[in-house]
Amino acid sequence: MKGYVAVMALLAMAVGFVGAAAAADVEVPLVLEKNRWQPDVIKVKAGAPFVLVITNKDKGPEELDMLSPRIEKVIPAGKTVRLKMPALKPGKYPFVGEYHSETAKATIVAE
Amino acid sequence: MGATFIVTLREAFEAALVLGIIYSYLEKVGARDGVRYLTRGGLLGLLASVAMGIGVSYLSGPLLDIGPDLITLVVIFAAVGLLTWHAWWMQQHARLIKGQVQHRIDEARASNRLWVVGLIAFTSVFREGAETVLFLWGIVSEEGAGWGSLVGGIAGIVGAAALGWAVFRGGQRLSLQRFFSVTTVFIMLLAAGLLSRGIGRLQGMGFLPFSEPVWNTSWLLSDGSVAGGFLSGLVGYRAQPTLPEVFAYVAYVVVVGLILFARRAPAAVGLASPSRS
Repeated sequence: MKGYVAVMALLAMAVGFVGAAAAADVEVPLVLEKNRWQPDVIKVKAGAPFVLVITNKDKGPEELDMLSPRIEKVIPAGKTVRLKMPALKPGKYPFVGEYHSETAKATIVAE
Repeated sequence: MGATFIVTLREAFEAALVLGIIYSYLEKVGARDGVRYLTRGGLLGLLASVAMGIGVSYLSGPLLDIGPDLITLVVIFAAVGLLTWHAWWMQQHARLIKGQVQHRIDEARASNRLWVVGLIAFTSVFREGAETVLFLWGIVSEEGAGWGSLVGGIAGIVGAAALGWAVFRGGQRLSLQRFFSVTTVFIMLLAAGLLSRGIGRLQGMGFLPFSEPVWNTSWLLSDGSVAGGFLSGLVGYRAQPTLPEVFAYVAYVVVVGLILFARRAPAAVGLASPSRS
């Protein structure tokens, strides 16, 4: 079945992926506190992959939601998640915390 | 309260629609055993959602970094396969039923595959379920907890269930022929949207190369808006799709559409030959 093949391929890739994530990409910290991202403007170097190290200091979980690139990442309360980001072209990449989209807004600026 | 109502309504209504359609499908073809499978699948999906919602907060390290995303991906692609299979199955039935008495459905044949119905229910509920659990949990754990928000969130789920029920009732009224064609198209588009969403996720996670959106219709209908959110759940609408996402969607609709519908014409003749059924 289509699904099954995809699953197996994914698992195989995942093993490589977790290993690769350990390699030295630039780490960019991001904190969620009181339903706001800090900083709310994150400057990164264009053309280089990086790792967003996201810490959720709030009591509830949050989901980082970005449209382009398509990223949906849950960060449980009190946890830190490492999110591997692709190399971005120069430009602005806004995202929100889906559970608090009124306040949790920020932008990654690649330059 | 209104905001959380919309969020959970949106998360739950896709599952509610799928369940509503399959319930009325089973009812229509007289495969009543299937109802049990469907209900169980849905309940298991609910349990799994709660388990995952709780489980996620006990994970850490690489397991937390990648684990939940992998599970989501697996569920998305499994759902695409299952929904495709179901659409095909419905088409087969539609052909059998044509010109025959409804109740003369080969029930034994149907019941062999009923566990798939259960799996569909499971993936439909589980796919957005864990997220909904986390969302509700977030509301409750907030300081000065907004009970209004929680009520809104739960009302959203109830609202979605009501929509599913409406689909079920509506489905019963439609003629069999019409019911099959409408729901087959709907399930096909739903699966196409899911496939493209899965591809987008693969890109976001770095499994596929990242690419810029090919167009941006956010000015017209943004993903974040209520209508955009519903359309996204229904037919896979994206305001800023990437090329692989668009390609996956179109390719799926063309290929599966051909498989499902192009065989319809010869099938009318094929009724005469038992080998085709």
